[in-house]
Amino acid sequence: MFNRADEGRPWRDASTDAVEREVVLPAPPEEVWPAVSQSDQISAWFGADAQLDLRPGGRGVFRWHDGTERSVLVEEVEPPHRLSFRWLPFQRTGANELVTLPSTRVDITLEEVPEGTRVRVRERPAFSLGAQPARASSTLAGIGS
Amino acid sequence: MKRDPTDAIFSALGDATRRQVIRALSEEGPATATSLAAALPVTRQAVTKHLNALAEAGLVTATRRGREKLYQISPQPLTSAVSWMADLGGRWDERLASLREHIASSKRRR
Repeated sequence: MFNRADEGRPWRDASTDAVEREVVLPAPPEEVWPAVSQSDQISAWFGADAQLDLRPGGRGVFRWHDGTERSVLVEEVEPPHRLSFRWLPFQRTGANELVTLPSTRVDITLEEVPEGTRVRVRERPAFSLGAQPARASSTLAGIGS
Repeated sequence: MKRDPTDAIFSALGDATRRQVIRALSEEGPATATSLAAALPVTRQAVTKHLNALAEAGLVTATRRGREKLYQISPQPLTSAVSWMADLGGRWDERLASLREHIASSKRRR
């Protein structure tokens, strides 16, 4: 992930600010929206069983096969374009232990493109929300401002 | 409640002044609280408080120099924070690949 020259300075150009991924799917946003927002359909691809109360302020819980459970708070729901939720800062393990974790916010946006739908996912630790952009000259751009 | 070490790191990085301190130390090299306070728009007392929080999370280490402490970045915890983020990205790569399959198979069923 880093080139050799940066091995001693891993924070250079490396992001602790956000991860962003995207995929273009051969279906219109109206068809992709249920797949990213309906509990039974999310459960088909997410890697965990989802129960989502699909409204701003709604709670959700994801259960993995190893028994891990983690809750989310739904923040924005704009069919068929945008779903945002926040992972709460702890999870329950299969051994019934609570473990704290960094809270992150997930934004899933659907954009109509000629090939179908571009799905963009952005996941950010809570601290970078609303933060000022990092200075362009900074070698620590990834740490955020 | 157990605490994932990454949580302490992200909490420590959750303050704008602490991120400025980290940035200053990474750009200028090891520094004392006094020299950091001179470079940043905060008092020496505030810088010391933030340095203590960063040291507690393992993000900086201190060595005594005369009457003051010299602080420097400790790269390992930042590396953990960065790889934690990389893991998040890896999980989304898998999920989006699986979402693509899900959409394709929904279309086949129609």
